[in-house]
Amino acid sequence: MLRVDDLTVRQPATGRTLLSGVSFEVAPGESVAIVGESGSGKSLTVRALLGLLPGGLESHGQVVIDGQRVDDDPRARRRQRGGTVSLLMQDPFTLLNPLRKAGRQIADGLPSGADPKAEVPRLLAEVGLPAEVAERYPFQLSGGMRQRVGLAAALAAAPRVLVADEPTTALDATTQREVLALIRRVQRERDMTFLLITHDLRLAFSMCDRIMVMYAGRVMEVGRAAELREEQHHPYTRALLAAEPPADRRLAVIPSVPGSVPAHDAVADRCGFADRCAHAVAACRVGVPELRSIGAAGVPEARPLDGGRLSACVRAEELPVAPAPPLGVAATPRGAAEPILDIRDLRKTYPGASRPALAGVSLSVAPGEIVAVVGESGSGKTTLARCVTGLERPDSGTVLLDGGDCSDYTRMTRQAVRRARRTAQMIFQDPYSTLNPARTVGATLKEALAADGRPPDVGALLDLVGLDPALAALRPANLSGGERQRVAIARAVAGEPRLLVCDEPVSALDVSVQAQVLTLLAGLRERLSMGMLFITHDLAVVRQLADRLYVLRAGECLESGPVQRVLDAPDHPYTRKLLDSVPDGSSAWPGQSSE
Amino acid sequence: MSRRVPVGVSVSLAVLAAVAVAAAFAPWLVPGATAQDLMTGISGPGPGHPLGTDDLGRDVLQLLVAGARTAVPGALAVAAGSMLIGNLIGLAAGYFGGWVDTLAMRWADLMFSLPALLVAIVVAGVLGGGYGPAIGVLVVLFAPTDTRVVRGAVLEQRHRPYIEAALLKNLSSWRIMTRHIWPNIASVALASAFLNFAYALVSLSSLSFLGLGVPAGSPDWGRTLADNRTQLLANPWAVVAPGLAIIATAAALNIVGDWLHERVDRRGRTR
Repeated sequence: MLRVDDLTVRQPATGRTLLSGVSFEVAPGESVAIVGESGSGKSLTVRALLGLLPGGLESHGQVVIDGQRVDDDPRARRRQRGGTVSLLMQDPFTLLNPLRKAGRQIADGLPSGADPKAEVPRLLAEVGLPAEVAERYPFQLSGGMRQRVGLAAALAAAPRVLVADEPTTALDATTQREVLALIRRVQRERDMTFLLITHDLRLAFSMCDRIMVMYAGRVMEVGRAAELREEQHHPYTRALLAAEPPADRRLAVIPSVPGSVPAHDAVADRCGFADRCAHAVAACRVGVPELRSIGAAGVPEARPLDGGRLSACVRAEELPVAPAPPLGVAATPRGAAEPILDIRDLRKTYPGASRPALAGVSLSVAPGEIVAVVGESGSGKTTLARCVTGLERPDSGTVLLDGGDCSDYTRMTRQAVRRARRTAQMIFQDPYSTLNPARTVGATLKEALAADGRPPDVGALLDLVGLDPALAALRPANLSGGERQRVAIARAVAGEPRLLVCDEPVSALDVSVQAQVLTLLAGLRERLSMGMLFITHDLAVVRQLADRLYVLRAGECLESGPVQRVLDAPDHPYTRKLLDSVPDGSSAWPGQSSE
Repeated sequence: MSRRVPVGVSVSLAVLAAVAVAAAFAPWLVPGATAQDLMTGISGPGPGHPLGTDDLGRDVLQLLVAGARTAVPGALAVAAGSMLIGNLIGLAAGYFGGWVDTLAMRWADLMFSLPALLVAIVVAGVLGGGYGPAIGVLVVLFAPTDTRVVRGAVLEQRHRPYIEAALLKNLSSWRIMTRHIWPNIASVALASAFLNFAYALVSLSSLSFLGLGVPAGSPDWGRTLADNRTQLLANPWAVVAPGLAIIATAAALNIVGDWLHERVDRRGRTR
């Protein structure tokens, strides 16, 4: 149905090569996931396949869709796009034209001659939406509904191939599960060929028949989902799987891989993963390892592209058997001392909002304790974090920081504000805007140290967060996302605050980097005996890091208690629903789509 | 990202460099620019006078060079003055919001509703003409442009996490505004200042043209243009050359300003 042969994407202006040697086939009705972190080339691969590369990039290599060669024939490609092949985009909030009704946007994709009055309601019903949604504008729909409308529009032309680029990354966990279940049901009913791009290996196992793992612009491993889940023949796949922590048990250490994804050209002469690989030998750094078939006897199969196990690791056969998944450990109980943060009945309604962001939330954090606040978007978890640090002013309720009343920073004395600022610091979600782009890392950290009344030892501070002191001379633009987040952590802990408020600090990072940052935070908690208020939507992260947990929905706390108790035996059905939304890699997940 | 300077920008930079040299060294380059030679009177281009002479027998090319000294520093003062005032008010308006913002923006609206050149003419007329008052008036009337542009840019930065992190470090508002926000909006502030520079150049030349700027007989592009417009047929260059000088300088300022904006903007933003 779909064949790509030796695909290369280059940027002629700079002479850079972004990906090379990518070949794969997808059979009719088959579902294949392309898995990788950012910079792996997974999105570029499908964009090259569809002829939708961003300006300034060009691709080489044969692309055959539905028996027709399209890489040298833009007209054929245009005919196929939106006909034979449909694309479902990532961001449901920019996917639809805000000025046009949903129904008209779906009707745009219908083949000529079809009757929109009959077809649009039929398509809406297929994606589980009522017919009246056709009359609504995108701003009247939730993210999940928008993504369903996007799917209906993609299905309008009755495509034989559906390509989905991270279709649920921007959605809440429970919505993600519903949309994925829907996509899978529709794909099976229509017997469509399905190509899914995702960074989540477990999600890929659940959704697709076969998996292709990419790294630094090359294919690392290919195999059937069930086989790949059981045994990985490439160290990178193992690392990727291990770095995604489980939600059902706490690990003694979160396995993380040092470093970050290199540029394709930086590893043009060796295995892309060699520099981060624990199994690397000299042979890994001599030439690019070929993607080869890993048969039972090691005999190359006649048609290695469809269905076989492939790995680009030179030591694929001699890799030690993957260690059994580590057993869970119990979290050491702590807290009992006077709380460092005590919140009582906090309420906040934003002007013009129809319902409160916080409707009476009480919680406490003991010194050295990590308390997680879990919720989906709109639960009020970020508002809570901002009220604690004084970035928002609560309508009522009290915030006690180390015993001092910090409910209203505008009414506090200068000394009280300074004391509060040195007690509680915050790290933010987006690694790209958390640092001042115009200032060097050194200037940022020196200022933070001075503000907290510490000697200006930037080198020691960078060392504390596991960064090379030479980074001080660089500006944020020259750092990776993980490095930026580490600098932001260094800035926050410069004055050794007793409370660190973390607002989704790892959700924008790649999984392998996410594990590094979580390990760093856990270590800093021990070294600085710092309490943490950890805002997140990710229960797996909560399980690994937190001591206690509060579940928030619509500004109300539904359930709280020790992490182990709440996650092993949740009282509230909503907590159970959140737990079920975590991809577990089994073929049963995401379950039946509810209408 | 290419490091090469586009041709248009190179030419503009060359024009500005020539104008700057003329403005800085005119007394030494053309010491006798204003010396009259009534015996020669007005004449077209010829030997010794590449652009001819005006009706007082002054060499047009020398007048042009000397004129840069009056035309450019005044406009520069307007651009720099309005940039300083506009940036301070714009930063405060965007950063503090609330009544500070309301006050600043209503002031800007008021200034925008006044026709700049007309007010300058009236003030210069009431105060008996002169270059100084004209510059002062233009600074006040041009500052709102910078204020609005800067305020808009500040609003975009104001709620970025890096500003909130600076707040949490208990840094002073002044420090956050000048050291954290301003470097990130410097590109728009600069571009706006260059636009004002070009406008001020044209406005001051217009005032001189109307006889309200520099005193009669002084070398100035607008003045030279006005003095010779009746002699258009005798020596068209005496009119065309100062006009071209104004246009070329203003255009070059726009092009260079735009180029600088992009360069500064790109700094620190590449991932």
